[in-house]
Amino acid sequence: MLPFFGFLMQAVLGKKSISGNIGLATIILSVCVSFFAVFLPVWNGAPLTERMHWFTVGGKPFYVGVMLNNLTVLMQLIVGIIALPVHIYSRAYMRNDPGIHRYWMFLSFFCFAMLGLTISTSLLQLYVFWELVGFASYLLIGFWFTKESAVQANKKAFIINRIGDIGFLIGIALVYTHCGTVDLGELFGPQGVFLPAVNADGSWLTLAGLAFFLGAMAKSAQFPLHVWLPDAMEGPTSVSSLIHAATMVAAGVFLLCTIFPLFNETVLLTIAIIGCITALSAAIFALGQYDIKKILAFSTISQLGFMMVGVGIGSWDTAMFHLATHAFFKCLLFLAAGAVIHEMAHFKATHQLDIDPQDLRNMGGLRRYLPTTFVCMTIASLALAGFPLTTGYLSKDSIVVQAFEWGFHLGGIYLLIPTTLAAVSLLTAFYIGRLLFKTFFGKFKFAEKLQKGELHDAPIAMTGPMIFLAACCLFPACSFHPFDYHQSWLLGEFHVKTAFAAVAEMHSAVPLVLTLGALAAWGVGWRWYVAKRYPLSKNNRWVRFATRQGYFNEFYQLLFVKGTEQLSRGVYAFDHYVVDGLTRTFSAATRRLSVAAHWFDRHMVDGLVNLIAGTTYYVGHLVRHVQNGQLQSYLGFALTVVVLGILYLIIK
Amino acid sequence: MITLTHFLLVSACIFCIGLYAVLAKRNAIMILVGIELMINAAILNFVAFSRYDKTNYGGQIFALFAIVLAAAAVAVGLAIILNVYRQFKTINPQNIHELKD
Repeated sequence: MLPFFGFLMQAVLGKKSISGNIGLATIILSVCVSFFAVFLPVWNGAPLTERMHWFTVGGKPFYVGVMLNNLTVLMQLIVGIIALPVHIYSRAYMRNDPGIHRYWMFLSFFCFAMLGLTISTSLLQLYVFWELVGFASYLLIGFWFTKESAVQANKKAFIINRIGDIGFLIGIALVYTHCGTVDLGELFGPQGVFLPAVNADGSWLTLAGLAFFLGAMAKSAQFPLHVWLPDAMEGPTSVSSLIHAATMVAAGVFLLCTIFPLFNETVLLTIAIIGCITALSAAIFALGQYDIKKILAFSTISQLGFMMVGVGIGSWDTAMFHLATHAFFKCLLFLAAGAVIHEMAHFKATHQLDIDPQDLRNMGGLRRYLPTTFVCMTIASLALAGFPLTTGYLSKDSIVVQAFEWGFHLGGIYLLIPTTLAAVSLLTAFYIGRLLFKTFFGKFKFAEKLQKGELHDAPIAMTGPMIFLAACCLFPACSFHPFDYHQSWLLGEFHVKTAFAAVAEMHSAVPLVLTLGALAAWGVGWRWYVAKRYPLSKNNRWVRFATRQGYFNEFYQLLFVKGTEQLSRGVYAFDHYVVDGLTRTFSAATRRLSVAAHWFDRHMVDGLVNLIAGTTYYVGHLVRHVQNGQLQSYLGFALTVVVLGILYLIIK
Repeated sequence: MITLTHFLLVSACIFCIGLYAVLAKRNAIMILVGIELMINAAILNFVAFSRYDKTNYGGQIFALFAIVLAAAAVAVGLAIILNVYRQFKTINPQNIHELKD
């Protein structure tokens, strides 16, 4: 909760709080709290639930509260530990930005939302924080809101997340309709079994599972809904790292792990297939990108695909494991990329070059100028590629091995998924090798302009967090045995029982094959990019396909944006001709009618009244001469009348 | 010999003169004089007709009453004229239009 106070304080202080000390202090405090007061007592202990009454709908009480078990405290710790270096890094990276006070406010808000999400006790509360995370990411992606592309990107992210939110909401509604509660503790019980499902009809369960998965798909950028994540690179790099590593995209995987018992086999298979497609397509797209951050974005999507497969094959513990290790090395990759971009932007500003500081083609040979960054980035890349002695090796191989076991258990066509995963691992190794080689090896493109000492490592506030994260990417952070993921303290405590038998050969064969394959991929990358023997032309159809991200944006543009435009044009025409036409006809008829009525009114009704009034007026006009105020004429009239009366009497 | 008819003729003449004065004069006091003439014409009739009532002389008594009343009426009339003069600074009835609507 501490970042929330940080958010409030900074919102109150406004422009004065530019240093980010408050945000930093709150995040440090919450890391300490979540580690010492929450993580240590609860890890391996009994789950704790604290809740209080929120509101009541028709006799059903809803609660808000804090639920602490192994999963949630682990997630909370990851969020805290990733957020801490990002905060420190941001102090240096975002210095002198005019909107810095907003930045700290949003960052604290973001962390608060994610921490709240991890410890929610009911699905409804989870949904609230889910929305807050989405909203905070909207704010941060569009942080440089004067940039048109940033505004487009945050709109895109928000809209796609809305699609997922609908799925999540439908899922909650289905669960509530059939089970009468949204409380996670009541739904799953202490054993982690979906209690109401034991004697329930399965069809709604499939529907609910798919709905939840739709939510997770949007948040975790799975295959058809992944387009927002590469565009989200428009935000500050430190924010990208936070989004990619711990907060935003992890929320989807975390959700699936939390409600894992709810899924039946159909849903799990769907998750595995979608995850597999995502991993493959994103890896292919990553091959063709030139923007350093976009490569990392696609690699995140690809790794999220891995996690989804982990969930889909039923061993969500490996998914969580990969989430944890991925958080560290992806965060590090982004921070290192941020450092590189920072230097490139400085270089660009000094020499007034018209180049994109994020473009790989403008880099090269940077390892001589940024040695610390180079080392950190190499470690993270090795972890991403799954080389031994890194955490990535352990977690990724755990997923692939489990997937192979699952495939062997089911046999036949199901083997396609683990095979694809293995291929994607090799692709991963290749594209991250490409990034590394193009950035740090070879010759710097503008070397002749470079003055001595101009490009240098970032200040300690930026390298410090990177070194810390690099240390976390090495194997001792997860396991004391560098080659066997079963020894990992993370995996041991989830007690997931998988439906398939362990295949002993796979445990040695898969890592070996993958490592050799990754080495080969790096070798190819070295040959192509460093030794300048690039075999493919730039206009190769497949390369273009990958560079344009599989034409997904164009496809969506065509299908949804243009479709919406066409639809609205059609609706406009309908409106214009049918609805408006009808209205116009009516109005014309009414006008004619009213003209007739007006004529009748004026000449008939008014005529009668005016006639009477006119007659009366005329008579009055005649008579009024008598009433002239002359006393003597009055008397004269009286006399006349009397004389007339007398004459009348006489004549009669 | 003087008969009742002569009396009535004189009375009618006086009445007509009074009536003319009331209708035609441009001075309120002359109108008052005209009214007085008309009253006196009526009183003359009373006295003339009183020859048929030799026991009570009712006509003559009534004539005396009427004279007193006429005097009172003249007093009231003069007071009204005085007030009108104060109000309008004239006693010409044609310049007083207040009775008009």
